[in-house]
Amino acid sequence: MKFNNILFGYVLLTMSHSLAAHHSTAMFDQTQVKEFTGTVKEFQFTNPHSWIQIFNDENGEQVEWSLEWDSPNRLAREGVRPAMFSPGAEVTIRIYPMKDGAPAGLFIGARFADGSTVGRWEE
Amino acid sequence: MVVKSRFTLPVLMLCLSLPLFAQDNDNSLPDWSGAWERLGHSVFDPSTVVGEGLSGSPGVREFPPYNAEWEAKYERNLALRDAGMLPDPISVCGTPTGFPRLLNMPDLYEFAVTRDQVWIIQENGPNLMRIYTDGRDHLPPDMRWGTYTGDSVGHWEGDTLVFETISLLSSEEGRTILDRSGAILSDAARIETRMGKIEEDIIEIRMTIHDEKAFTEPWVVTRQYQRLPEETRVYDYACAQNQRNPVDLETGRTLTLDSDGEILDRDVD
Repeated sequence: MKFNNILFGYVLLTMSHSLAAHHSTAMFDQTQVKEFTGTVKEFQFTNPHSWIQIFNDENGEQVEWSLEWDSPNRLAREGVRPAMFSPGAEVTIRIYPMKDGAPAGLFIGARFADGSTVGRWEE
Repeated sequence: MVVKSRFTLPVLMLCLSLPLFAQDNDNSLPDWSGAWERLGHSVFDPSTVVGEGLSGSPGVREFPPYNAEWEAKYERNLALRDAGMLPDPISVCGTPTGFPRLLNMPDLYEFAVTRDQVWIIQENGPNLMRIYTDGRDHLPPDMRWGTYTGDSVGHWEGDTLVFETISLLSSEEGRTILDRSGAILSDAARIETRMGKIEEDIIEIRMTIHDEKAFTEPWVVTRQYQRLPEETRVYDYACAQNQRNPVDLETGRTLTLDSDGEILDRDVD
């Protein structure tokens, strides 16, 4: 019981700061959510931040987007695994985009082809 | 003569091993083992926070007891923060947070208690703070220079660690901050800290910060830390491994790099 309470509290805590970054997040527009479906190029499970590299088809051109996420340390404790975003997998993602329109954003959540989700995802 | 020599060697060996034995098995020291996480808001002093969001969010601030001169310095940092131009010093990989911000990080803590020292280890490094409890005094004045964690000496009052920190690096010129709102201290800061459990899995730290250059009165800040489940792992934090958010030193703006290291920001020359 005690353990469960601690664990539950811990999950809430980590979720509450899951967008806390190692640097200023002023470059992201956190009033807008962008959603698109793309193909995973690479999941960089690295410090100080993890990055999901994903191709998005924009009028026939494959544009590579850089999606910034939390440190692998925090993500691992929240249940994220380095194999979660496999190269070539199709995934729908939601991000806070860059204010200047550059192909990058702060990761919010993702839904995989099998319907499973990771991060913050509400239908 | 033979009897004497039989005792001499075992007794000598026992005496030599005593310091190590005492350090590892001193039951008078509290159990602060495990991994711990800060509770509460990301501003340094949650008791005075106003505004919505984290410490880096526009409009969020706290109220240290600054004099007019240092309130103006803080307000300049707040304006830079609101404009996205207040760099976090730790974005330059290898830069410590410094004390007391070291106690205000979202990553995990370990508190290593030994007979002669307590170490505060922050996962988001490099951040290791040593507090000497072996009875030594502060460094003499001619041996002091400002450092990120300063010089800390203390003692135990029951299970409460009481220590004083001096000789800290000034926050001026952006070398350290207390949080991303841009709260700062001067090199005159002297911090009295009391640290101990208030519940089995909760440690409370109360800092009384004296700063004759910046404050009109001492600033008392209390933070709490929760022990995490026993199986929790603490990892390394090699900031330079894949740092894709360098700071533009001319503007203070944090940039974003693509996977090839090129600047993604479209309005940067």
